[in-house]
Amino acid sequence: MADKTEKAYRALESQTHLQQVMFRYMLEGQHASEEGKLAWVTSGFPVEIPLAMGVTPSYPEQYGAVVGSQKVGPDLCGYAEELGYSQELCSYARSSIGSTHRPDNSPMEGLPTPQALLACNNICGTVLRWYDAISEMTDAPVFLLDTPPIDAEQAPHHIEYVQRGIERLVEFISTTFDTSMELEHLRSVAKNSTTAIDLWTKSLQACKNKPSPLNCADRFLTMAPVVALRGSDYIIEFYQTLYDEVKDRVEQGIGAIRDEKIRLLWDNIPPWFQIFRFFNGLAKRGVVFPADTYTHAWQGSIEGTDLYRNVAELYSNVYLNKGLDAKVEKMCQLIRDYDLDGFIMFSVRSCKRYSLGQLVSKELVTEETGVPGVIIEGDMVDSRAFNDAQIQTRVDALLEMFA
Amino acid sequence: MSETPSYTVGIDVGSTTTKGVVLSTDGMIITKRIRATGSSASDAAQDVFQIMTQESGLPLLDTITISTGYGRRQVDFAEKFLTEITCHCVGIHHLNPSIRLVIDIGGQDSKVIRVNEHGKPSDFELNDKCSAGTGRFLEVMAGVLGVTIDMLGSIALESNNPSTISSTCTVFAESEVVGHIGSGESASDIAAGIHQSMASKVGTLARRVGLVSPVALTGGVALNQAFQHHLAADIGSDLWIPEHPQFTGALGAAVIAQSKL
Ligand code: SF4
Repeated sequence: MADKTEKAYRALESQTHLQQVMFRYMLEGQHASEEGKLAWVTSGFPVEIPLAMGVTPSYPEQYGAVVGSQKVGPDLCGYAEELGYSQELCSYARSSIGSTHRPDNSPMEGLPTPQALLACNNICGTVLRWYDAISEMTDAPVFLLDTPPIDAEQAPHHIEYVQRGIERLVEFISTTFDTSMELEHLRSVAKNSTTAIDLWTKSLQACKNKPSPLNCADRFLTMAPVVALRGSDYIIEFYQTLYDEVKDRVEQGIGAIRDEKIRLLWDNIPPWFQIFRFFNGLAKRGVVFPADTYTHAWQGSIEGTDLYRNVAELYSNVYLNKGLDAKVEKMCQLIRDYDLDGFIMFSVRSCKRYSLGQLVSKELVTEETGVPGVIIEGDMVDSRAFNDAQIQTRVDALLEMFA
Repeated sequence: MSETPSYTVGIDVGSTTTKGVVLSTDGMIITKRIRATGSSASDAAQDVFQIMTQESGLPLLDTITISTGYGRRQVDFAEKFLTEITCHCVGIHHLNPSIRLVIDIGGQDSKVIRVNEHGKPSDFELNDKCSAGTGRFLEVMAGVLGVTIDMLGSIALESNNPSTISSTCTVFAESEVVGHIGSGESASDIAAGIHQSMASKVGTLARRVGLVSPVALTGGVALNQAFQHHLAADIGSDLWIPEHPQFTGALGAAVIAQSKL
């Protein structure tokens, strides 16, 4: 039996390693910027391409998560609003524009200055206008990799179209950074990506065990390297350490939380400004989240003989670039595979691409799986759009259904 | 050991009013009380509890109290707190076990709950972000028409030709009403339009959860006949209304408390 004096939530030992990795990411970004070799990229960008060409990436969305975690979202979003941007604009975009406008008042003085802005609209259309705005402020040129949304199967002409985009991307990086692409180099970067993602996927899948070795906040924090440093060799070691710890927990029957009673699915980005408060608060009540739709989005590997085509296929088929049916199917599959009792969908005001359709998908998922769910509304960075009492009532009502 | 009490208490601290019920173990309401919540949820709950203690002549502190509603966490003398979703569901099931959908219109929120055959919620939707579709909407509109909230319902019943109020937002609807007054429409047609518009907003929320009969209407607004009429028309279903619709949540809390005795 679990020791009641123990904390409801068990911190991961690999977290120290994670901090070192993320510190290195920050230093490398600064260094690359000074050398004129830094590109800002969107989270779903085929980052293996710039990396293979010697260009270092920085991720404004990841920076947005830092802004959220440090609880300064309303300040930074406010700086963007002072410039005339609407409160309806994604708070990652507002944080990034706000910090570029007022770096002195921003965590880590904002992201290092970019020499290029690489956007891929496989996550949303916002990124293009957002990067245009940053381009106006920094003079860095923007490249858009257009990946039209996929409803069912991806048509061959569609893959070809995206593949042309990849070829144009290589040209763009070559001229902007005066570099060239060595396919062998791309192969080795892709291999690093695959190895890290494989280890990551194994850690995620270990959460099918009862008790689950990881909770939502654990996955949201440890996914940072797979988002921001995919393709670098030094994150492999981190994911190995994490997987070892996860395996250990499973072997010893140790869960991420002290007393697992209810297993739920989480949908969407988390409220970064209260990621611990929210998930640990629920952990105290025996609620664990063995799976979520967000951290499961970084999967698949670049391989085969036609690398560009493979990149085109892989990056067109990301979760957010697919229709509602695919999202519903993914949620149902996670609920079944991870043996979950219900789900919480976070309707994120910032992210229309993720949140639109949740009302319908909630109904469909319940119909398909027979488990209840609830939608709570708020934002991942802008805590002004987060009403604790209203969220509490919805979550409590869901938990009371299991009583 | 002292004898098990033969009654329990339910307190529902809503955003506008606080309700209390003392329920006997044979399912009868011994006493009940309602007052404005005002600025302190805990004071309102305390006050309702004290008055019920006096009125019933029972040592209420010796039994189990469960609190619910928006201010449920502020009731420090309660054994446990539960959401209004669960309590409304249990309350209605206690009164009429055949009900499968509850529509509750509170002062500042509205909710629709699907009730399963065991009297537990299986799905729900809450509107607590916007005052349209809540008691507050009717209050604001009565103010614009210069009538009391009770009169608003009765004059609406006289209309055969409700004015059109298309805005779902209270603020915009208010200017629409002012426009209708300006163009000489009768107060009764405007009042009917106000109820119709609110019914359509609530009907949409209900359709989101899924309409299953029989449907119950609870909360203070349930006493308003014009609203009953328009909501029934909007959702195409008769409505079952408890004798004291505002007390459904508090009653549910008291019913659940009985399982803890
Ligand atoms: S709108 Fe959504 S997908 Fe797009 S950048 Fe913002 S959070 Fe990401």
